[in-house]
Amino acid sequence: MRHRGIVGGLVVALVLVCSFAVLAQEKFGLKDIPEIKNKKPINMIVETGAAWDKVIEYIKQFETVTGVKVNIERVASPVVYSKENVELMAGTGYYDVVYVETSWTCEWSDYLFDLEELAAKYDPKGVEGFREDIQNISPVLLRCGQAYGKQMVLPFYTYHMGMFLRQDVYDDPTEQAAFKAKYGYDLKPPTTYKELYDQAEFFTRKKGDTLKGKTLDHDLYGVAMMAGAYQINDEISCWIWGMGGDYATVVKNPDGTIKEFVITKKDKDILKQALTQYKDLLKFAPAGCLTANFDFACAQQGEGFAIIQPHQFASLFTWTADLLKEKVPDGRLGIYPTVGGQPYTGAWSLGVAKASKNPEAAYWLVRYIASYDCQKVLMKEGGQFSARMDLLLDPEFHSPETEYPLGLVCSYLVDIWKQQAPYVDNYWYFNTRAGGKVYEMQMNVLHKPMAEEVTVDECVEELVAKTIELTSKFDTVPIREE
Amino acid sequence: MRTEAFSEVQTGYAVARKPTIWEVLTSEKYFKWTLLIPLLVVLAIFMLYPLLYCAYYSFHQWGMRGEAIYVGAQNYRQLLNDKAFLEALYRTLKVLVICVSCELLIGLGLALLWSREFPGENIVRGLALLPLLVAPLILSLLWNFMFEYDFGAVNLILQALGLNKVYWWSPQRALYTICFITIWQWFPFSTFVLVAGLRSLPRDVFEAAKVDGASPWYTFRRLTLPMLSPLIMIIVVLRTMWLIRLFDPLYGTTRGGVQTELLDWIVYRTAFVYFDIGYGSTMAIFSLVLTIAVCAIMFKMLMRALGGTR
Repeated sequence: MRHRGIVGGLVVALVLVCSFAVLAQEKFGLKDIPEIKNKKPINMIVETGAAWDKVIEYIKQFETVTGVKVNIERVASPVVYSKENVELMAGTGYYDVVYVETSWTCEWSDYLFDLEELAAKYDPKGVEGFREDIQNISPVLLRCGQAYGKQMVLPFYTYHMGMFLRQDVYDDPTEQAAFKAKYGYDLKPPTTYKELYDQAEFFTRKKGDTLKGKTLDHDLYGVAMMAGAYQINDEISCWIWGMGGDYATVVKNPDGTIKEFVITKKDKDILKQALTQYKDLLKFAPAGCLTANFDFACAQQGEGFAIIQPHQFASLFTWTADLLKEKVPDGRLGIYPTVGGQPYTGAWSLGVAKASKNPEAAYWLVRYIASYDCQKVLMKEGGQFSARMDLLLDPEFHSPETEYPLGLVCSYLVDIWKQQAPYVDNYWYFNTRAGGKVYEMQMNVLHKPMAEEVTVDECVEELVAKTIELTSKFDTVPIREE
Repeated sequence: MRTEAFSEVQTGYAVARKPTIWEVLTSEKYFKWTLLIPLLVVLAIFMLYPLLYCAYYSFHQWGMRGEAIYVGAQNYRQLLNDKAFLEALYRTLKVLVICVSCELLIGLGLALLWSREFPGENIVRGLALLPLLVAPLILSLLWNFMFEYDFGAVNLILQALGLNKVYWWSPQRALYTICFITIWQWFPFSTFVLVAGLRSLPRDVFEAAKVDGASPWYTFRRLTLPMLSPLIMIIVVLRTMWLIRLFDPLYGTTRGGVQTELLDWIVYRTAFVYFDIGYGSTMAIFSLVLTIAVCAIMFKMLMRALGGTR
């Protein structure tokens, strides 16, 4: 009996030791960075904001362990592209670590190292070690960070979109009954445009009307949208991807290489339909939506003025939920896939410049920032959502105290990534070198019909013409209109 | 020394001594160039070279990748048929006329009030200077919030007064809202230039007019205004140059949306967002030529006004 106990104890101890060993193997961290021979300081540019405020503190640990100084330049996110683009194109090597929005990956692929090439050169575990670590990262975001099959960047944090709605209102029996009586079906998160339209209409109310049986002391809007000339294209992407369209269709050769881009009739029809529906929906949105960015739309919902945000960056969920809790104490948000189930996706990511004077240190810094430990800091202290699924599923973020709002978004992201993974490879943004330019152009053009500057048809015509013009100028893959 | 004496004896007259470089530089003939050349070199490096570079690229298609392709006047042809560009140009001229007129009117009105002594004048003038001291971008962000439909301070005040909320950023009003922000920031400039002008006007002329029984309106129309006209022209010329390049109020508010895209914004968007350097350069050159042309006309008018006061 005593022997059995000892054997049992030993087995348990062995299992624990093995588990720790496996865990230690799985999670790459600062301790796994080998001695870096090249000690030249490295430069990087990052956005302003709380996430980097926190992560920068941990980069100091990287400096201490490796002996490589990291100079960090911080700018507002709209400036990142232009600053880096000039340095990359000129081949100055000023920025060793490049901060990349995933739609720019293909565009900059000639100026960035394939990370597997660097892993083979500098990583004692080689490419296999690198692949083993990144298998924990969202497959969707990894694909967004690839150019022509090569992993150019690793994601830092995701801004994958979702639909935010007032769960407390959707769960309210009075509202459910009133909705069913008016529209003839149950009130539930919308999965089609018709449902979204009905619900936006249903929840648009005037001051003095009631919500959940209580009299409103302000106007209430069904939806809050970002129709300003800044993020409208992200919303439209959700819309057209969800309808099976794209800004251009990627036509591939049998070997998987890209043959051409075609703006098909279907693409144009879907775009027209999406813009028309988006414009229709604006009548249930606050007037300010016409110049709005994400902050305005979230504030509208957080203040209790809007019920649905049909497309919003998931990373803003906790902020909106906290604001709602403050303004509407019994308010609670829910997050769901956007209509059609293919929300806009991407991540701020990091890569290594080919012109870098110290690619070795730059590579390890990128690996370190994408590591479990550093990403945990990003989530716990920086308030952003990691691209690592192992972290999003960490029980720490799913305890009764953390499940709302944090755990809810974590679960949403993991589920939507699994669902969306098969489609990402064909999204046009992530297959063209003109992605960055076209993305910026779209902000301006897609906003125009909402501001009554042009009709929807004129907008589609302009968008097609400019997409062809920019793609012809900045990509080598031919593009044509069907 | 001996050699010199010898040569004097030999030739019979003194050999002219070669002047030192310092003497040449400070001589009557060259001194103006000595002072001008450093400035001209700096201008050539930082103004002329980029300008020529920009003009060169305006005839090319180039996106910072690979070799620039010569396209002749194609970019200019495209520009003249570019609806977005022409609309931006029209809006810029509209903003120019509205802002310059309003700033001058407000500036002149306040200058007439503030050129007299009154209790607390320094505080009032100090406060009036504040808009000019705030960074234009910060100011545009502030006004963006102030004019917000649901939460903005302006609409909250209107509601408190029992009036309806106004959608300041609607496509029909947004450009005028941009004008308002610009005027609000820049009216102190006109005011203070004109206050200085009013204070420097000769008193005897006005006293003589008073003795002759001229009415205040007549005095203003026939004396004050003509005497201030050089300063008014300076304000108009400077503000025209600055307004053609108006950018910051858009950056913090509409970002060129709701039909507010102006000339400088479209140049910025083309050259530094799309990095379509060729076409962006064409737009920049056009914008420059326009500014020079408008300012040259106004400069002529300024000179005429100055001549009239002599």
